[in-house]
Amino acid sequence: MKRYLPIILFLVLFISLLKSLFQDEMDIPSPLIGKNMPNFSLTRLGENTTVTDQDILGEVALINVWATWCVGCKEEHQLLLSLAEEPSINLPIIGINWKDQDQLAIQWLDELGNPYQEILSDPIGNTAIDFGVYGAPESFLIDRDGIIRYKHIGPLTLPIWTNEIKPLIEKLNQ
Amino acid sequence: MKYSIIVLFLLINSHCLISAEEQPTADQQEMYQSIIQEVRCLVCQNQSIAESNADLAKDLRAQILEQVIAGKTKYEIKNYLLNRYGDFVLYQPVFSQKTFLLWISPIILLILIVGWYRKISN
Repeated sequence: MKRYLPIILFLVLFISLLKSLFQDEMDIPSPLIGKNMPNFSLTRLGENTTVTDQDILGEVALINVWATWCVGCKEEHQLLLSLAEEPSINLPIIGINWKDQDQLAIQWLDELGNPYQEILSDPIGNTAIDFGVYGAPESFLIDRDGIIRYKHIGPLTLPIWTNEIKPLIEKLNQ
Repeated sequence: MKYSIIVLFLLINSHCLISAEEQPTADQQEMYQSIIQEVRCLVCQNQSIAESNADLAKDLRAQILEQVIAGKTKYEIKNYLLNRYGDFVLYQPVFSQKTFLLWISPIILLILIVGWYRKISN
């Protein structure tokens, strides 16, 4: 047994290092999962009224951080639209327009369609920092009590929706 | 005209007062520099936010400077970042339940090697 100890040690180290070689380094686990979403008070896009985190409680909701300068946001836009239009999916999508200009954002939504129930404007990006955002698009699934249950960095895709988000929503709605 | 000059003077002066408050002291400047060199830029992962020109790095630098001037401690500021971006944001990982193996493994290895060395030299 003792003779094999170095080999066993080697294998353990080798396998654990090999595993991290194939890990997606952009996929950083968020410390916010399982915690309350951060407090915020932001103005509605193109309006003077404000929305706070308290206003979006009560329903499972998807918070989507986007911007017109973000290429990935255009990629996922069609999916967001189809989620918003599908009557069987009862999921409010809250947009946070991040480091953008209201005028450009409104124009963008006019052209491509608006999947958002609420759009909040975060031109300086302080709320995004509170959400631990480092690149748009990022999406957060919030439960009825405002606890962050899931985070996805990068464009949402149909497989991510069907395999990860949809089952989680069903679970949270039980 | 006389009054407008006085008003102008006051305006300039009050502006100076405000910016004087916003200027970090030498100590604060030093602390700010040391923090931003320890914080990873998540957009460009092999740079610290001190080195990076990414938008987010600029935002985080501004946020950190603001907190340094507000009198927050280094510990508080690092916690602020950890709570939002996780362990990965600091180049030097904190000692926690998840990272204790990382920190103590060199000591364990050393003990094992010493034990093994003693055994073969006997």
